[in-house]
Amino acid sequence: MTDKLLHRPPDPDLLAGSLPSIDPVLSRRVNADPENLERGLAQLVLTLVELLRQLMERQALRRIDDGTLSEDQIERLGRTFMLLAERMEELRHEFGLDEEDLNLNLGPLGNLL
Amino acid sequence: MIELYAITSHPGPPLPDVAPLREIERDRLSAVIAHIDEEPVATADRLWHHERVVEALMQSRNLLPVRYGTCLPDEDAVAGALDRRREELITALEFVRGAVEVSVRVFGQGSEDQRDASDRNRSGADYLREKARRGHERARAVSAVHEPLRALARADAERPATLDRELLRSAFLVDRPRVATFSRLVAALQASHPGLQLLCTGPWPPYSFAQR
Repeated sequence: MTDKLLHRPPDPDLLAGSLPSIDPVLSRRVNADPENLERGLAQLVLTLVELLRQLMERQALRRIDDGTLSEDQIERLGRTFMLLAERMEELRHEFGLDEEDLNLNLGPLGNLL
Repeated sequence: MIELYAITSHPGPPLPDVAPLREIERDRLSAVIAHIDEEPVATADRLWHHERVVEALMQSRNLLPVRYGTCLPDEDAVAGALDRRREELITALEFVRGAVEVSVRVFGQGSEDQRDASDRNRSGADYLREKARRGHERARAVSAVHEPLRALARADAERPATLDRELLRSAFLVDRPRVATFSRLVAALQASHPGLQLLCTGPWPPYSFAQR
């Protein structure tokens, strides 16, 4: 794969892992065939929940930047988002879904997340 | 059953000798396919094989790469699909004509906070502040790296970063003759931003720009 390297990062450790990856070849769609229906449905539902979670989290980050939240509010919000993120990860594992699976390709609109 | 590799213009050069390929032509379009016995499974070997075929095709023609695992029951179904999406496919082919995809990933220094996300003792405020820090770091990477490179590309796309320390994962549609200039700019950007780590790979088939 070295013939595909146009620029190598100075830190060699970065190339030790899975890079460059083959992910562009993998399809990212909801799998709706009957045998996988449950997983496909879980993927769709979790995708929507993940979208809402990220939107709310971004909103909270904006409010921190604006300085409109008290320390106490930041702590409580942060705690909630942290627990939500953990729970989402557990659910993903339960249905055998990767982080990337929760991103739908919306065609001309690009990716959902 | 039929596995699809790419959609390309017809007539084109002879098919490369990397697999038993066939072309199904409809007017000015053709689909490059192979007959297979069973539905493809996603193993690394099969994925690389698919990638090698598409890249061999890419050497001599403009194409819309088809993602691995896309199958149709028979040749009539392929011809039907070409007919139905004709206008859309011709427009998409025109859009990528003469260009390739180049991928750029940007990595940051990582957090000094060694506690990982699963640490239950971590405070909610720390969690959110770490998110905010990453958000700002990412925005800086976009203006330092993505924006200047975008000026050399026909189109660009951002994809979610998933690896640890990864701030940015961008895809650029670059005219073939401009790839060398593009990678020189990547090297120059690396030199002027020692705090970032840039990884640039390509040329790839235009996967990120085939559906528009």
